[in-house]
Amino acid sequence: MEDLEGKKILVIQTHGVDTPTRTYSPVYYAIAAAAMEMDVMIWFTMNGTNQLRKGEAEKIELKPGSGVTLKTLLDQALDAGVKLSVCQQSMDLWDMKPEDLIDGVKILGATSIIDLALEADHVMYF
Amino acid sequence: MSDVGIVRGCKIPKDLYYSVDDHTWVRLNDDGTVTVGMTDVAQNLAGPVLHAKVKKVGLTRAKGKPIGTVESAKWVGPIKTPVSGEIVAVNEKLADDPQLLNRDPYGEGWVVKMKPTNWDEEVQELQTGEEAVQKYQEKVEREDIKACEHVE
Repeated sequence: MEDLEGKKILVIQTHGVDTPTRTYSPVYYAIAAAAMEMDVMIWFTMNGTNQLRKGEAEKIELKPGSGVTLKTLLDQALDAGVKLSVCQQSMDLWDMKPEDLIDGVKILGATSIIDLALEADHVMYF
Repeated sequence: MSDVGIVRGCKIPKDLYYSVDDHTWVRLNDDGTVTVGMTDVAQNLAGPVLHAKVKKVGLTRAKGKPIGTVESAKWVGPIKTPVSGEIVAVNEKLADDPQLLNRDPYGEGWVVKMKPTNWDEEVQELQTGEEAVQKYQEKVEREDIKACEHVE
């Protein structure tokens, strides 16, 4: 595990609240990478964007009765130092304004994601 | 084991030093090394541990840096060392039986042994004895941490 510190991982999440079972793992992997001292960003785009609307992630429970929601994981990710970013163009697709986003999310454009993909040591997309 | 404090069913042995916010403990050994592990409260928060990865012997870590990572079904995160130093031994058993962390967090579930490099100063920031129990009590109340369940 020693050489991983500072490596850059970019996670691209294209799935959202319409497919709840596809929302957890990418966030979980991002938290794991952060725990391993990597520099991690999740980029939410396409349908992935809608889970960042205030109040949505709370509705998605990992396992019924567990009390652990997608919001729990997104909060854990922020606490762990994972950067959350969202595609500006996809926000328009979902009629979302900056004030609709949960706290801690940075809005980026398409050119930024290309730069980030080139800078990352590895890109994971879902 | 010597005197043990109980906080919401979680055991807090009073002879250890704690970094309450990071849920870790330290035992000062006779040879000047320290043993580091995660607390009963931590194992309870994580739930049954599925995987534990521990850093390697020889690595020097500053206080607050991870000495390993722990994953359960609902949580994954670092174990942050409460003291600076060099890792001189790791608990190899955790790779095959990570739930030692749940069953015996202060004994067989230890994580690493370290040769501390700044013990005299850093110990001042840790809590021990009744003070540790009190600080943990305040933390579990403030954060409404659930009562401990012990995996047998």
